[in-house]
Amino acid sequence: MRRLVRCFSVLLTGALVLCGCKGGSQSETGNTFKIGVITSLTGPAAAFGQAHKNGYTVALNDLNAKGGVMGKKIELVYYDDQSRPDQAVQGVSKLVDQDHVPIILGAYSSENTRAIVPAVTQKQVPLLMPTATADNVVETGSPWAFRICAGSGAYATTTIEFLKAMNAPKSVAIVYENTNFGQANGQAMDKAAKANGFDVVDTEVYQASSPDYKSLLQRVKAKNPAVIYFASYLLDASTLMRQAAQVNLNPEFYTSAGTGFAAAEFPTKDKGAGPYAEYTFSVSQWLPTAQWKGSKEFDEAFLKLTGAHPAYHAMEAYASLLTAVAAINKANSAQPAAIRDALKAIDLPDTPFGPVKFDDRGQNHHPVLITQILEGQYKVVYPADAAETKPVIPTPPWNKRQGL
Amino acid sequence: MDLYAALQAVINGVLTGALYALVGMGLALIFGVMRIVNFAHGAFMMLGMYATYVLFTHTNISPYLLFMVAGILLFALGYLIYFGLLRPIHGQSDFMQILLTLGIGLICTDGVLLIFGADYHQINIPLLGKNIHLGEHIVVNAPWVVSFVIAVAVALGLYLFVMRTMIGRAARAIAQNRYAAPLMGINVFRVQAISFAVGIAAAGIAGGLLLPVFYIYPQVGDQFTLKAFVMVVLGGMESIVGAALAGLVLGVVESLTSLYWGNEWALAVDFVIFLLVLSLKPSGIFGRQKA
Repeated sequence: MRRLVRCFSVLLTGALVLCGCKGGSQSETGNTFKIGVITSLTGPAAAFGQAHKNGYTVALNDLNAKGGVMGKKIELVYYDDQSRPDQAVQGVSKLVDQDHVPIILGAYSSENTRAIVPAVTQKQVPLLMPTATADNVVETGSPWAFRICAGSGAYATTTIEFLKAMNAPKSVAIVYENTNFGQANGQAMDKAAKANGFDVVDTEVYQASSPDYKSLLQRVKAKNPAVIYFASYLLDASTLMRQAAQVNLNPEFYTSAGTGFAAAEFPTKDKGAGPYAEYTFSVSQWLPTAQWKGSKEFDEAFLKLTGAHPAYHAMEAYASLLTAVAAINKANSAQPAAIRDALKAIDLPDTPFGPVKFDDRGQNHHPVLITQILEGQYKVVYPADAAETKPVIPTPPWNKRQGL
Repeated sequence: MDLYAALQAVINGVLTGALYALVGMGLALIFGVMRIVNFAHGAFMMLGMYATYVLFTHTNISPYLLFMVAGILLFALGYLIYFGLLRPIHGQSDFMQILLTLGIGLICTDGVLLIFGADYHQINIPLLGKNIHLGEHIVVNAPWVVSFVIAVAVALGLYLFVMRTMIGRAARAIAQNRYAAPLMGINVFRVQAISFAVGIAAAGIAGGLLLPVFYIYPQVGDQFTLKAFVMVVLGGMESIVGAALAGLVLGVVESLTSLYWGNEWALAVDFVIFLLVLSLKPSGIFGRQKA
């Protein structure tokens, strides 16, 4: 026992010394302007955290090449929340108390973002949310939270508008994971569908990262819906679509609340569902083919940095940093309150992500697109003025498909 | 919901359950029989998955052969870990073992994180697209069937190892009386080391077999550690057959719960059964009541 205690005390002392060193070196960098970033660099959401980081990196290089902000080079201080909400909350304390950042960008998931809204409100530091789609992140009444992306409500209503435009039969099944993201999107669809005369024939909630969803999909199949709406992250999106083929589930429309179904990896064979992703519809916030000024340049810079084309998650991170820096320039101050006020008043008519302007709730009214995967590529099919091609409907049944 | 759907769910449950069973049997040997509280069990399963993944991407040999290599590697690792780390704390409180194995698990997970990154990986084999139709209504995915057959064979081997071999008998003798066993000429450390390594190899093999139908990331094993403990307790602690049956039961119960109540209840039902068994029949569903 005594040995154990001694062991512990040695470890503890070591840890304290290490912490001390770290704290000291970080507070000494006076000639950079620090901006805090919380995202999921490890854990199940790491693919999206990496997309965030790449988007931020492209923005950082652009901005620093143009001279940074307030005469200083911009430095991003990352905090990895390990895809866990409790860690994200710790990130706020660490970034504000130790690194003294005047603004935070993050987190990745709705779950983690919702968790940090009270923390930034208490610390009185503005938070710019790039990717959280659950609408409750802007419904807390906090004057410190701003969201650049469209939310779950807009996802659901756009999907329903699309289905109506396609004359889809009005029966829908909703399948979502039991997290903040899943619940928000599932419930938003339930509301939007019912408001538009759709019959919600089945609602399935599932536990993320399970190896087997066949029973769940059988339940859906028994209700025979014409439309399925998924709210899933990437790993489950792939499992769900493969197993949908196994149970021979054939709705006319596979629709989804983006995320897993909109990830760049999803239609690929190595990291996603490959041919099983074909014909699925998804909402999208942005594509490399978007007409906004700078979209193409971002796509090229991202391709050069990573060797792959970006999905909208990376663009949202990029646009967030752009917006944050514009607000800091406008405030011409490193005070959190001044930056917050600048964000409230900001009006950027043409960023590569479209216009950015926040309403009273801190929400940017960003348009939502509908895409379909055709021959392994995301193609915009709705709204009509942005459509690249006509959608393939109804979805061909599994036994009529080639190359599976 | 018709009868076919239920039958399909039972079949799917058995296919998943066989892999659970292998994980559970490994832990039954380590925790149930050897009384080593192994909180790194899921991490070893994860290592089995990564080993199979790395071998597959470099050699392109079928993962249904490579799982054996993964098993051998995990056996060697288990043997080394026993002699290097577990033996020095032999005879000390269970608490030390818990700390040690938790630590080993964390090191495995973070080590893999350092080497492979947090990103997930999956493999693509042509078999994945093959479905076997049994009659008009029942469909099973071929890789699950192959995994099932191999898992049953390995489980049988594990059973024979524990019940029929000298080392297996010795392991059970140690479990019965760890003070008398050495007096009967049993080399306790060697037997424990081999049993520990075999238990870990079983987890690694289960990982290798799960790889083709799942995906891997460093924390993938965590969900299986708890499940494995549930199986061992349900199976009656010392019985590896009990753990195997418990694995099948969990697979089927999860699948049926998912079909009739919804997927979100599947895990909850696992633990409700666990709590009920602990409070009503602490010796486990398949365990014998001790005198």
